[in-house]
Amino acid sequence: MSILVRVRIAVLERTIASGQVPTAGEIAAELEMPVAMVQEAYARLGESHVFVGEPGDPSRLRMANPFSAVPTAFKVTARGGLYYGNCVWDALGIVALLGGEGVVETSCPDCSEPLQLSVSDGKLLESEGVVHFGVPARHWWDDIVFT
Amino acid sequence: MLLFRSEEHVEQSGKAKGALMTPEQMWRLADTWYRDRDDPAWRRRSAEEAEEVFAQIGLTGEFWKLS
Repeated sequence: MSILVRVRIAVLERTIASGQVPTAGEIAAELEMPVAMVQEAYARLGESHVFVGEPGDPSRLRMANPFSAVPTAFKVTARGGLYYGNCVWDALGIVALLGGEGVVETSCPDCSEPLQLSVSDGKLLESEGVVHFGVPARHWWDDIVFT
Repeated sequence: MLLFRSEEHVEQSGKAKGALMTPEQMWRLADTWYRDRDDPAWRRRSAEEAEEVFAQIGLTGEFWKLS
């Protein structure tokens, strides 16, 4: 496996196991690599839109897609863990990645009413609400945090 | 990508019109997009491949174009 693939898989596996997106230092220790090499991998994964780096900190990721490194309005419980998605797409993506069994909790941005999407055995069970995309597809990565 | 209570709530929020989809479409897109993300063989989709995924769940038109 290439260094980029090893780092990408290690980040996802560690995030799944702990609920926390790891720092470059943590991945460097796990893979027995120099920290600078993992920082370089974080930068390249960010440039290729696989992950999103934390601005000004080469050791951190803002997003290890579909996971958010910081708490968001998209809380996911799946496989006994608690996670945060970057948006409703990513939140459901976490459920998909963890085997198609889980719950996404969020709230309506207009009225703040709690909304929930439940998935079991790979199927969406409860289906309340409507999903809104504000930015056209070709502009999603112009400002991915805003998107 | 946000989940609103209804289309009326999207309008009331003052958000740009954008595009809407059902939670079922969102789930199908998320499942296709992310289910194999931890597979070492995974690679990022090309613009054409992504558009094909969108079209499979009924997302067509200028809004969903990447190429």
